[in-house]
Amino acid sequence: MSVQVQPGMRVAGDTNVGKVRTTNEDAMILDPIRGLYAVLDGMGGANAGDIASQTARDAMVDFVLQRRSQLPPKQLLEQAIQTGSRAVHTAASQHRERHGMGTTVVAVLVVDPKHVVVAHVGDSRCYLLRHQRLQTLTRDHTIVEELVDRGLLTADEAERHPYKNVLSRNLGARAETRVDVMELELMPGDRLLLCSDGLYGYASTEAIQYLLGSGDAPDHVARDLIELALRGGGGDNVSTIVLEAPAPPPTSTQVVRTTGASAWWSKRQKFLIVAKDRGLTKNPIVRGLEPNEALEVVALSLCQAVYHDLEKSTGVNVWTFAQNLAGGWFERGGEWAPVRQLFDILATSARVCVDEVRAQDPQLGFLLEVAVSRALVVSELALGGLLAERLRAVDGELIQVYATVPARPAETGPIERISEDVLDTGERFVDRPTIPFLRLDRPVTNSGISSEVMDGIRKTITIATARTSPRAELVKQILGALESISADDGGNFATAVLQAREIYGVRSIDDQGISPLFDALDQARIITAASVHQIQTTEVTRAKVLRALSMAHQRLVGATTGLVLEGVVPFTERLRELQVVTGELRDEVAKAERTRAQLESKHATSVDQSLPWGNRGTTEW
Amino acid sequence: MSAADMFESVSFLRDEVLDTVEHGDRDPPGTEIFDAVLRALATGGESVPGFDMGLHDAVSRRLAWGDSEEVVLADAELVFDRLLVAVDRAFRDPADQMVVIEAATMVAVTVARVVSLEAVARATRDRAARLREEMAQRQLREVLEKQKATIVRLEAELSRDY
Repeated sequence: MSVQVQPGMRVAGDTNVGKVRTTNEDAMILDPIRGLYAVLDGMGGANAGDIASQTARDAMVDFVLQRRSQLPPKQLLEQAIQTGSRAVHTAASQHRERHGMGTTVVAVLVVDPKHVVVAHVGDSRCYLLRHQRLQTLTRDHTIVEELVDRGLLTADEAERHPYKNVLSRNLGARAETRVDVMELELMPGDRLLLCSDGLYGYASTEAIQYLLGSGDAPDHVARDLIELALRGGGGDNVSTIVLEAPAPPPTSTQVVRTTGASAWWSKRQKFLIVAKDRGLTKNPIVRGLEPNEALEVVALSLCQAVYHDLEKSTGVNVWTFAQNLAGGWFERGGEWAPVRQLFDILATSARVCVDEVRAQDPQLGFLLEVAVSRALVVSELALGGLLAERLRAVDGELIQVYATVPARPAETGPIERISEDVLDTGERFVDRPTIPFLRLDRPVTNSGISSEVMDGIRKTITIATARTSPRAELVKQILGALESISADDGGNFATAVLQAREIYGVRSIDDQGISPLFDALDQARIITAASVHQIQTTEVTRAKVLRALSMAHQRLVGATTGLVLEGVVPFTERLRELQVVTGELRDEVAKAERTRAQLESKHATSVDQSLPWGNRGTTEW
Repeated sequence: MSAADMFESVSFLRDEVLDTVEHGDRDPPGTEIFDAVLRALATGGESVPGFDMGLHDAVSRRLAWGDSEEVVLADAELVFDRLLVAVDRAFRDPADQMVVIEAATMVAVTVARVVSLEAVARATRDRAARLREEMAQRQLREVLEKQKATIVRLEAELSRDY
């Protein structure tokens, strides 16, 4: 069972009857309101063990409830335990068959999320896990332990001693008992474990440390520790309570990197829907693509880019996305307006998604809004960079125009004359498209790839195709894809994704499905590299050809791997869903088990009142 | 340029390619990929696919420590792009440039292969885990049925006793 406690502190506890016993004589206190947590392990025949632990538990809870405001925490817990002891002693003295019953206790009183008081009597223990190191805070009150302390026994002898389980102190043997109490200051992330001997008697310290330090939620840890004891034999009742001190609050960057990125990614479908509604698929830039394809290539790519940038607190992915998309469009003589419209659609869609997150979690929504806005600003900066580049080109053209104007006689002002000369064409400069790439008659060129290099790429692919075995269809297909991608500006990832989809086709997600694909990609790489050396051109051009083809190859391989990763996602998601259902079923079984144990306990009491004592005796020490 | 000289020349590009200033004492993302390029250059720029076990180990280790496949792939892409830019600037001889480009492409393909196969292996594990979960659910449902039957029986007996 898991409970809510002081802000940031997480607590959970669980108990189990074990595999041998028929009744559970352990009792627990999980009281978040008063910050009281305890494990009590009862003992005594005729079902008196569970009565002892329950009597002490009730007495302790009542005492803390009544005296919490009157006593300091340390005294409060000590006196609560003394009260429990008196209650058990009184109950034992009133019923002959319950004579000798008693219980151990280990209890924690949470003063505030940083301070606790720990007290114990008997052999129930409290462990502290700090910086992944497990320490036992309590010392067992057993006869053998006392003999070891007095130097009358060695640790080895104690381990083999026949009375190693016999307690020297418990609640109920006498009206008053000595209680060991300590105050403890918790550090962020510390974990405390309260448990009965049914845990550490059947599980190694290393295993306990491993589970406690696993980082799982306390309710999972408490349950797993029980499972550990059951697998170790489960010879006794076992109870565990796990308390976790609040972890230091994550920084906003950490929140954005983890929760923010996940929240963003979970809204991708919404992003695509909004982008479609706002007309992304009708934008001239994606003309020729199927609507779904257009959404995947543009909107999903931006989604991925933002996700990766959020995850790594960078802007490089969005920057690259914006540059590739707008740069590719401008290079084909595309106009500015569709780019502006497209990025406006994407920005609005992003804000709709962020608003949805904000409605669910205002704090996370705020952080995500800041981060996503930053990503969108980065895209605007990339667009601005492209425009600046183009304006520089216009400057160059203007200088050329100025230089070609014939010189005028000295008596007239040259600047005025030149202006007139330009105006003589019948068209004012301000009326002309000032940015060359907006001119529709501008021929399509490839950024950074000269016609000589393009020619080299074609020749290389031709040679490579000729060198490829006629049966190696996949390799030939890859070579064709390399030509398309490298001809389409080496940095454009969208083309690579489309080509990768063609090559990937329908494949099974296993070694037999994936390995041939990567074998073919590797073979294409080797053949291409060898073929570059055979084309008739200069060494410099050859290097440029290889560079363009290698970049294309890298993009293709990346896109192909992306498809493999996409194919793997459903397996993981399905497993997560199943794990949730299994967890719920486990909880149901545990609940039913507790109900059954309670009923059996009642049943046994009603059937036989004269059962012999349990195998753990007590003594007056 | 000999393989040793090439190795040394590319080593000088480490700071530029990995942006080590940005990351201080920590290993910058993509270190294993840059090291793999250096190893490939040391062996003459070409090797049998999958031969570089160091790269396999490094990528697998990163995935095992919790980096996602996408992150590893993005790092590989970043190193590849930066290396190509750096090589273009740093090497005057086109033949030398081509050797480094070939090695970098080989490493990029290998990284993608390792990442894909790791992802496939994870899918296989998830599939097996799914079967186990389904079996566990079946057993838990059986246990639950039995528990419910026992509870009903005990309740009936208790009401009869009293």
